[in-house]
Amino acid sequence: MFKNWIELGLKKGFSDVEIYSTRSKSLSIEVYQGKVENLTTSDVEKAKIRAVYDEKLVSFVLEDLSNEAVNKAFDQLILNAKALTVKEPAIIFEGSPSYPEVKENDFNFDKVPVADKISYLVDLEKHILANEFVKQVDVASYSENYGETTIINSKGLNLSKKHNFAYAYAVGVFEKNGDIKTGYDIKLAKTFDDFDAKADAQMAIDDGLSKLDGKSIKTKQYETVFSAKKFGEMLSVFSGLFSGEAAYRKTTALKDKKGEQIAVKGFNLWDDPLNELAPFQNSFDDEGVASNPKKIIDDGVFTGFLHSLKTAKLFNEEPTGNAFGGGISPAGLYLAPGEKDFDALIQDIEEGFYVTDLVGLHAGVNHASGNFSLQAGGMLIKNGKLDHAVKMVVLSGNWFDLLMQIKGIANDLTFAVSGVGSPTVHVGKLTVSGEDK
Amino acid sequence: MLTKEQLHTLLDLGLKTGADFSEIFLEDTYRGTISVNNGDVISVSSGNTFGVGVRLLKGIDEVYGYSNDTSYASIEKLMKTLSGSFKGNANQAKPLGEKQPFTYTIKIPHHAMTPEQKSKTLIELSNIIKNHDDKIIQAGATLIEWEQKVLIANSNGIYQDDIRTYTRAALTAVAQDGQLMQDAYDAPGRAMGFELFDAIDFKALAKEVAESVMTYLYADNMEPQEMPVVIHNGFGGVIFHEAVGHPLETSAVSKGLSPFAGKLGQKVASELVTAYDNGDEADQWGRTNFDDEGKKTQKNLLIEKGILKGYLSDYRSGKRMNYESTGSARRQNYKYPPTSRMNTTYIENGTENYEDIIKDTKYGLFAKKLGGGTVNPATGEYNFAVMEGYMIEDGKLTKPVRGAMLIGHGAETIQLIDRVANNKSYGQGMCGAASGSIPTDVGQPTIRVSKMLVGGQGGNK
Repeated sequence: MFKNWIELGLKKGFSDVEIYSTRSKSLSIEVYQGKVENLTTSDVEKAKIRAVYDEKLVSFVLEDLSNEAVNKAFDQLILNAKALTVKEPAIIFEGSPSYPEVKENDFNFDKVPVADKISYLVDLEKHILANEFVKQVDVASYSENYGETTIINSKGLNLSKKHNFAYAYAVGVFEKNGDIKTGYDIKLAKTFDDFDAKADAQMAIDDGLSKLDGKSIKTKQYETVFSAKKFGEMLSVFSGLFSGEAAYRKTTALKDKKGEQIAVKGFNLWDDPLNELAPFQNSFDDEGVASNPKKIIDDGVFTGFLHSLKTAKLFNEEPTGNAFGGGISPAGLYLAPGEKDFDALIQDIEEGFYVTDLVGLHAGVNHASGNFSLQAGGMLIKNGKLDHAVKMVVLSGNWFDLLMQIKGIANDLTFAVSGVGSPTVHVGKLTVSGEDK
Repeated sequence: MLTKEQLHTLLDLGLKTGADFSEIFLEDTYRGTISVNNGDVISVSSGNTFGVGVRLLKGIDEVYGYSNDTSYASIEKLMKTLSGSFKGNANQAKPLGEKQPFTYTIKIPHHAMTPEQKSKTLIELSNIIKNHDDKIIQAGATLIEWEQKVLIANSNGIYQDDIRTYTRAALTAVAQDGQLMQDAYDAPGRAMGFELFDAIDFKALAKEVAESVMTYLYADNMEPQEMPVVIHNGFGGVIFHEAVGHPLETSAVSKGLSPFAGKLGQKVASELVTAYDNGDEADQWGRTNFDDEGKKTQKNLLIEKGILKGYLSDYRSGKRMNYESTGSARRQNYKYPPTSRMNTTYIENGTENYEDIIKDTKYGLFAKKLGGGTVNPATGEYNFAVMEGYMIEDGKLTKPVRGAMLIGHGAETIQLIDRVANNKSYGQGMCGAASGSIPTDVGQPTIRVSKMLVGGQGGNK
C-alpha cells in the first residue's frame, strides 16, 4: 500500500516521499474494589507522509488510510509547501551504512489469559489495601502494548522495528491523623512473570508511608539531595537544552557553550540508545538514522548538540540519530554513577533536604533561563541521617548554577520507566520555601 | 459510512450477552498547524484523527475498544470481542431517535483559506513582537486549528452528530541580554474559524507579549513567603479549575476520591464564591453543542454563595452515585471512553472594582497571569507558576517579580477568598485527564486569597 502512496506523491510533483507508519495494539485493564472497572482493547494503524516539494519538507499524519484521504493529503501538502517561506535543508534519508543490532522483546502477552492479568491486579489492590494507613486504592491498572514501526521512502530506505511490553501501576490513598497522601508504583515488564503483586504493592506502600507524618520546614537555603528518580526527571525536563533545533533557533542557553565547562568535573552525561540496563533499546530514529551512544557532557564539558538530518546539515555536523516525534530528543539519557553509596553521600550533611517528590515539572521550569520553582516533598537530613518527612514546600534554583555546584554523585544508578537513568545526586544549596521564619 | 439501521444492528449485537448499554462513537477530525518565527513560516503540518470507539456497560462495568478501521465488519468484530467480557441475558437496543439539529456558526471555515493566506496574519504578528525590542531573539506566532466531526449512537436511542471547530493562536517571545533569558506567551482560542482574528485584537496582544518578556527579563526573583495574593481575572481561574473543578467531577466524587464527596448543600467555599460550568457558552473554547455521549450541553451551577450545589457528570459515573448526567461527558477522541469533564468553568462576578482590591492590600503579590500547574485530586494539593507577578506594597503595584510558585490545598484556598471583583474574563487551555486532552476555558474576576504560600528563589536567606 505504502509503495503506491510513494508513487502517487512522485506523480503529483514531490521530489521525494517517505512513509513512516506505526501499527499499535493494546490491552488495558483497570481494577477497582476487586472488580474489573474498565477493559480497553485497541488496534490503530497510522501513517505519516513526509515529502519534499519545491525543496521544502512538509508532513501529514493520517489515520484515515483510504485512497481518497491519501489523495487529499498530498494536495494539502502542496498548499502547505507553498506557504513555507523559510529556506532550510529538506532531507529524505537514503539510510545509514549499518544499523546496530537490538534485541527485540518477543514475549507474547496475548498468550497469558486475561483472567491471570485480572487476578494480578486484584491481588495488587488487595496487598496495598492490607496496609493500615491505606484508605483505598484509587486505581490498579495493567496495560500491554505491541507496536511495529516501518519507514520506507523513495530513496530506497526500508526499515522496521517492533516493540512489546506491559506495565502496571497502582495509586493508594493513605490517611493518617487527617493528613491524606497518595503513594504509587509503576512496574514495567518484558514478560508476564516480571509482575509480582506483593512486591509491586510494597513499592506503592513504601512511597505512601514515606509521605505521611510530614512536617513543613523553615524557609531558607538547604543542602539538597535529589533521589535518583527525581534527578532523572530533572535531567529529562532540561534535556531540550541539548537539541540542535534549539541551538539553531538560539533558544538554548547552551548555544555558544560547545567545548565549555557547564557542569562540575566528574559529571558524565550519556545518551546511549543501546544501553542494556535501560528498559528500551533503539536501533534507529524516526528519520532512519542509526542510533549510537555518545557522551553529551564529558567530565563537565559540553561536547555538542543532538541533531536531526536538518540541524546536522545546518551546523555541518553528522546527524546523531535523535529525531523523534518531529523534534529532537535523547534516546537513552543517563548520568554515570559515582563511587559513594547513599549513606556516604549524605553523611557529612548537617542539615539538608532529600527530595523524593517533585510535582508540576511542566509548569515550574523556565527552559530559557534555567530557573525552576517546583512543589516538592521528601525527608529532612539531620546530622548525616534521614530524619522526618517534609511535606509541601517549594524548591527553587537555577539548573545551570546547580550543574556547576554539584557536590556528589552516588553509585546507585537507577533507570525510570521513561528510560532516563540517574544516581542520587547531592546538588549543594537550593532555596526551600516552607514555613515563615 | 454506516447507515442508521446498521448502527442499530451493531448496538443490539453488543447487548446480546448481558451488557445493558452499548455505544458507537465515530470521529473524523482534520487538524492543521502553521508556525511562524521571526517573520518566516517555518512549518506547516496537517493530519487527521479518524476511527471508531465502541463501549459496552453492564451496570458500571465498562469495556471499550477502538480502531481506525470503521467498516461494518470491523465494528461487528469489535462488538463480539467486547461483549465476550459479559455473561447474562440478552438485552435489546432501543430504536435510534432523530438527530437534534444545531446551528453551524463558523464564518470562515478552515478550508476557506489557504495556508499561505492564513500565514500573512501570523507573519504580521510575529513582526510586531520581533520589532518591539532588539533583545527579543525569537518571535513566534503559531496557528492551531482543528475540526472534529462526530457521530454518536447508543442503545438508549441517542443518534446525534456534532461539529466542533477550534482555532487558536499562540504568541511567544524569547528575550536575551547577556546571560539573562526570559520567555513569555499568550494563546487565546475560540470555538470559531479564522474569524477569531476579527474577534480578538491580536496586534495589541502581540505588543503585550513583547512588553511582558522585556519586563520579566530584568525582574527580580520572588522572595519566598506567606502573603495575601490577588489573582487576576481570566487564566487566573486555572486554580479554581484544578483545585475545585476536577474534584467536582463525578468520576472522582463517585469513588469518594474528592474532598467534596457527600457535601452537597454544605458550605465549601467563602460566601463570596458562586461558580458555574457552562458547556454552552457561545463561541467559547470549551463549548460543544452536544457532549460526547450525545447529550445537549448545559449551564451547571456548582457553588452558590459558598454552598455546594452540584457536580459535573457523565452517564456512567452518574450511575455509580445515582446522579443525572449534566451533559459533561467528554473525550479527546475515539481512543478514549468519555468521562465527566469541564467545559467553561468560572467563578461568577462580584461587585467590586479590581483596582480597589489592590488598593486595599497593604502587602502581597498580584498574580497578573498564571502559567501551568497541577493538582492531586485525592489530596487537593496544587501548584501553579506565576507567569507575570508584581509586588503590592501599600496598595500599589511596585516591582515585577519572576519565578513565583503558588502552592496550597484547594479546599482550604477557596475558603480564604476574601474579595471578588466584577471583571470576569476567560482564559483558554488544554485540560488533560483520564479521557485525554480537551479544550476548556477557565475564568474568574480578580479575586484575593487572604493567605498563600508563595515560593521562589529570591532573597537567599
